[in-house]
Amino acid sequence: MVAIRFIAVDGSAQTIDATVGISLMENAVANGVEAIEAICGGNAYCGTCRVHVEPEWRKITGPITEIEEPMIEASGDTDPGVRLSCQIEVTEALEGLVVHTPESQS
Amino acid sequence: MSSAQVQGCPVRHGRDDRKSARLADANLQPAKNARVVGSFAAAREILRSPKVRQAGASADQIDLSRPEEISFFFLDGDKHRKRRAAVAGLFAPKTIVTRHRAVMDRTMDAIVADLQGRGSAPLDELSWQMAVDVAAEIVGLTESDSNVNLANRVKAVLDSSVSRKPGFLNTLLFNAKMIPRVGKFWKHDLAPAIEARKRQPKDDVISYMVKENYSKKGMIMECLSYGGAGMMTTREFIVMAAWHLFEKPELRERFLTGGEDDQFAILEEILRLEPVASLLHRKAAEPVEGTQGASVQEGETVCVSIREANTDEAITGPCPYELDPDRAKRMKVVGPYLSFGDGPHRCPGAQVALHETRVFLDRLFRLPGIRLVSEPEIQWNPQIQGYELRGAVVACDPA
Repeated sequence: MVAIRFIAVDGSAQTIDATVGISLMENAVANGVEAIEAICGGNAYCGTCRVHVEPEWRKITGPITEIEEPMIEASGDTDPGVRLSCQIEVTEALEGLVVHTPESQS
Repeated sequence: MSSAQVQGCPVRHGRDDRKSARLADANLQPAKNARVVGSFAAAREILRSPKVRQAGASADQIDLSRPEEISFFFLDGDKHRKRRAAVAGLFAPKTIVTRHRAVMDRTMDAIVADLQGRGSAPLDELSWQMAVDVAAEIVGLTESDSNVNLANRVKAVLDSSVSRKPGFLNTLLFNAKMIPRVGKFWKHDLAPAIEARKRQPKDDVISYMVKENYSKKGMIMECLSYGGAGMMTTREFIVMAAWHLFEKPELRERFLTGGEDDQFAILEEILRLEPVASLLHRKAAEPVEGTQGASVQEGETVCVSIREANTDEAITGPCPYELDPDRAKRMKVVGPYLSFGDGPHRCPGAQVALHETRVFLDRLFRLPGIRLVSEPEIQWNPQIQGYELRGAVVACDPA
């Protein structure tokens, strides 16, 4: 398990014990992070599991992948750290990761 | 709903709220030699695997050597992803709210005016109007003589295409039926839309295809896939959801007072129990060995049973046949389970369908005097392996 912190727009934070080997989105949903909607279930088809990765973590989580681009573009979210959390696999290297959730997922 | 509190519900017992299950059980026909998979976890793993290929809707008879001339539905891998990605924004939640919602509201204004003027109307006629108007707008089929005629022409082509059988004589018969039907769709619907988009591009599927120089055949296939699926399936789901809400006053009250999130939770739970599509076929190009139970040999065809997967107690919790809108949140599962499929081929219009159903029912159930005069007759459509609801009549007070 690795600790991952989700910070909402209002500043409230929730730290979850995430399971290695499954996506950040699945971990968030399993731990009741309400700002992660993920209405397509993790297929990168809805863009409602967006997170904004803090700058110091972006090298580790990596850039937006090709599969994420269409939905991120459609969402109009231009945050430099934006990613679809369904496309981030939780690994040991993410221990202590901090992400912010957007004001709205639609 | 009271079912949420059923703690001691015995396995596979409890109330059965499904309306289409018995008919589906009696009529569903998995492809010959296909192994049926009913476990939710294994099914999802198979559908998400890059090692499987589309095997539904006579996919084995499709010539894949010219991908530009076939629907995205039959493609896999990179080619499929790129085609889907190119128009994915049209189906995004933000686009639905900022663009398609206006079409839904406009259509609903017309439906309400018509219903109040007539006093009563067939429900599937009203849901068909909503489904067709929205699908036509997204695809760009906006230059037809009327959307009713457009829908009938699309349906005629799709009815022919899904009943295709192998063999020389069958191919001749298939072509004899199909060619004139496609010709009518091209002449009255697609060609005028293409000409209009050439003059003035818009943000829709046809404008994208014009920009990318799709062939005539390629355009026809793509439009029929997006348009046909959006029209035919949403029409049925709206009626099914309305039927449940008419029948259950507490649920209807919750739908009207609960806010959008709760409305979606109700609709998704109905869809879990009453999926419009019931079977998804995949063929393994390579062996699939998953961690959640998926195991498919190379060359083997499997049939994912959406109905079984959606009622798999491992994922639904107890009493899987009861309509319980709090279930998904309690079980931390995405609401419609596998009703829209999963993986790369997940239904592109899933969110559009849920939104138009929500908008339709929210307006309908707020009409003074709204009532169900006659219940629908549930029929089986062997071509699409799904239910059809005909004969429901709704009535309301005059404006």
